[in-house]
Amino acid sequence: MKNQINTKKLKLYSWLVILITLAISAWFAWELAGNARMETDLDEYMPKDHPAFVYSDMAEDWFNIKDGILIAIENPEGIYNPGTLNKIKDITKALQDMETIEDADVTSLYTADNIVSSEYGLDVKAFYKRTPKSEEELTELRELVIANDMVQGRIVSDDETVALVVASITDSVFSMQFYEDILAFADSYEGPENIYVAGVPIVEGTMAYLGPKDMKKMVPIVIVVIILVLYFVLRSIRHTISTLAVVLISTIWAFGLMAVLGISIYAVTIMIPVMLIAIGVADGIHLYSHLQLFLDEHPGATVKEVISDMIHNMWKPVVMTSVTTAVGFISLLTSEVLPIKYFGLFTAFGVLMAMILSLVFIPAFGFVFGISRKKKKQQAKAEKHSFTERLANNFALATIRHKVFVISATVILLGVSIFGIQKVWINSSFLENFERDSNIVLTDAFVNKHFGGTSSINVILESEDKDAMIRPEVEKLIDEMQTEVETLALVGNSFSISDYIRRMNQVMHADDPAFDVIPDSQEMIAQYLLLYEMSGDPENIWKVVDYDYRKANVTIQLKSDNSKDINQAIEILEKYRAPFSELQVEMNYAGSGYKALVFTDLILTGQIKSLLLSIVIIIILLALMFRKVSIGFIGAIPVVLTAAISFGVMGLFNISLSTTTALVSSIAIGIGIDYAVHFIERYKIYALQTRDKGLTIRETMHHSGRAIAFNAFVVIMGFLVLLFSVFPPNRSLGALVSFNMFISFIATVTIMYLVLYKSNIFFKNKK
Amino acid sequence: MKTIQNLSITVLVILLGFTQGFAQMNGQEIMEAVYNNPSGENIQGQLEMRLINKQGDTRVRELQQFIKDEGEVEKTIMFFLSPADVRNTSFMNWSYNDGRDDDQWIYLPALKRVKRISSDSKSDNFMGSDFTYDDLGDRHPSDDTHKLLGEEVFNGYDCYIVESIPKDKDYMYSKTVTWVIKENFIGIKRDFYDEDGDLLKILQIKKFEKISGYWVILNTQMHNVQKDHRTEMIFSEVKLDQPIPSNKFTERSMTLGR
Repeated sequence: MKNQINTKKLKLYSWLVILITLAISAWFAWELAGNARMETDLDEYMPKDHPAFVYSDMAEDWFNIKDGILIAIENPEGIYNPGTLNKIKDITKALQDMETIEDADVTSLYTADNIVSSEYGLDVKAFYKRTPKSEEELTELRELVIANDMVQGRIVSDDETVALVVASITDSVFSMQFYEDILAFADSYEGPENIYVAGVPIVEGTMAYLGPKDMKKMVPIVIVVIILVLYFVLRSIRHTISTLAVVLISTIWAFGLMAVLGISIYAVTIMIPVMLIAIGVADGIHLYSHLQLFLDEHPGATVKEVISDMIHNMWKPVVMTSVTTAVGFISLLTSEVLPIKYFGLFTAFGVLMAMILSLVFIPAFGFVFGISRKKKKQQAKAEKHSFTERLANNFALATIRHKVFVISATVILLGVSIFGIQKVWINSSFLENFERDSNIVLTDAFVNKHFGGTSSINVILESEDKDAMIRPEVEKLIDEMQTEVETLALVGNSFSISDYIRRMNQVMHADDPAFDVIPDSQEMIAQYLLLYEMSGDPENIWKVVDYDYRKANVTIQLKSDNSKDINQAIEILEKYRAPFSELQVEMNYAGSGYKALVFTDLILTGQIKSLLLSIVIIIILLALMFRKVSIGFIGAIPVVLTAAISFGVMGLFNISLSTTTALVSSIAIGIGIDYAVHFIERYKIYALQTRDKGLTIRETMHHSGRAIAFNAFVVIMGFLVLLFSVFPPNRSLGALVSFNMFISFIATVTIMYLVLYKSNIFFKNKK
Repeated sequence: MKTIQNLSITVLVILLGFTQGFAQMNGQEIMEAVYNNPSGENIQGQLEMRLINKQGDTRVRELQQFIKDEGEVEKTIMFFLSPADVRNTSFMNWSYNDGRDDDQWIYLPALKRVKRISSDSKSDNFMGSDFTYDDLGDRHPSDDTHKLLGEEVFNGYDCYIVESIPKDKDYMYSKTVTWVIKENFIGIKRDFYDEDGDLLKILQIKKFEKISGYWVILNTQMHNVQKDHRTEMIFSEVKLDQPIPSNKFTERSMTLGR
């Protein structure tokens, strides 16, 4: 009677738990639907107060440095015909008419200043206003372009088949709508000329939208696969549903809390469900795996007995794994990058919620909907039971028998990984996130083949002294630096105040190429600039030098946004730091290419710092939890191995570290620690129970090893789905998560287990 | 085409006019009165040009200038006094009444040579300022269609407000609106609208005085509101109707300095 009332009460409470859980989820989901804000402006990701960014933003303002959208107009017959020239003019004017683009920010053959020597002296004029029609006019225009190397090879290709229209935009202008508009705009000018659109904003934009869009498509498939595999492993619809519910609900809560707190969703935020799915299923699998084993031994037990045994035995490892994982993620708060901080914080929150739900929601679910018992006959079950048990036994014994092999394999792998880690390189390239044969990469290659480059970095020179930038020795050094950096194959062009001065010096000396040099007198330079201002549109000159000639901007155009290449250019530029400094000129960098470089570096160093920090924290936590320092180190083995091998493989296979791939290393902590704690806790329980080492290892392997294998299997299968993603970064994400899972699993059940066994911990004192 | 002749002191010739009758005037008549405001024949003085960009950086140039009206041709010559590295650079402009393009020369002391320069159009900015050559010239009232929009007190002056729409549809401005002081027909403020009909620039007269019987503008500012760039022109030591020898306006004179 009393028991019945208890059961009734239990059921009531369980319903309450489920309803409250669902109500909270519904509220969070509603908040999420109403308040979620996607942040796509890459500048918002960067730490505003970091000196490199503060400086770059200032310099961008001084010289109106913006990212250019490059529209290339190709006519294989050559551009010098009325049709193509008219198209260049039309596209230029249409871009200038756009509200988001300022007139002066559009550069093309139509807008360019032509500094020429005329019969009088100097002339600055447009290449054409009315589209030339006659043969003579066209020939004249062609000759003007060829004679002007500030235009030829820069906005008209050397083979005369392609012309560029460059529209500079500020980052904030960029939106999905703008992106679609500009592509549609370019498309409308197609034929007979081919129109291509390239440039940093286009690549960044495609990245920012393609990644999450692809994730939205792939995650449901990942979940379906996980459901199927979970069912295959747990053999119960009810257990599958409740395990997955814990993961999904904790994800909704994490995102819901972000929405409630008004925190925008960043591109890295999409890694939160990835982490929670990979880590969250562990709790359910271990709980149900334990429940299954208990049922095998006590087939007649009541629901209440089964569930209380499960919670009684498993709450500790579930809490320990979740807390260590959460602390590991919280260590990401040391990062300087805001979205990464949020990523760490809310993943930790999700992990803790998954823990609470596992310990409250799963039992409640069991009381309300019941638990699944194997329906097959005892006989079949016993046989199957003995099969997994035999496998676990054999594995446990074989590992110990072949300990030399396990240890040497680990040492070799670790050695190779450490070798590999040294070859790991960071890449902030956006372009390399796309398929080699994708439209965006091909267009970029096309534009790079014909012009100076689609990426750029800006060297900002600054002095305390007024007129410093028009001193001949400074001008000459700038010129020298440009000449040297242009010897690199990847540097297509460079542009600065000295290009103007050289051009004018030559023009003022009857176009004699011998005067294509910086003159020796400052007065001469000042007077040329005055002359230029009086003759042309002075606006253009303020992109390379400031108002009182204190600062100058040297633009280096690159044919690649690969970090290795950018660093190669920077290496040459750095050689000029000292000579400039002798002239009291300070050198700095600016521009989006440079910011991306610094930003990636920040993410990665932050990531590696927090990884090391979290390993230390984990060792301490484990040592405290098990009250043994040695357990701290043993438990860290899977984490360290997973992280080391993961980075090692990347180094060996020349996979560069990017924002996404670096964050995956966090998963090594989350998963590695789960496996280790579950295994060690079980080992401890059996050791104290049986005081028989042989029995302990067999039982542990059968109990924990089995659950770990299930867990790894489920997540690996789920994430392998991402290999079919159309977006390469998501593919490497899938591969790396699966690979990390696999290494964590193997490391736990082989080397960590072996060390645990050999260390005699939990047996020493008892003897 | 009259342009450089009117460069500076005369900038505002356009905006000057002599007092007319009391009868209600229409837009056309008001702008004609402004155009017909007499300016001296020979003008000399100093010009300080201040260029201010949106960051507030300021560049200052000081020039000495001479203007002579020889009937068929109006000649202007200017000598740079500062900054130091362009000192003695000189600029000469001959503007012809028969519609020929202006002739322009520049002398660069560092190059020790006089060079002819030519600019594309009247819509080019003068010396990197916010004034185009055309803004500095006196545009003939018959080039535009004028309409009196109303009257208003501006800066303490009773003003007419006149809208002028160019008859040439391809002109760089789609329209201008001028505030004309009723009592002396000085245009004290003018708004310039770009091809798209958006406000582009605002011209304001900050200071004007009667010198030798002529109204002379001494301080004027052009603000390009789209680029947030300003040009201030300050005139001093203005002398009118004092004879300037014709040989002041020669290539040789350019090389000699003022």
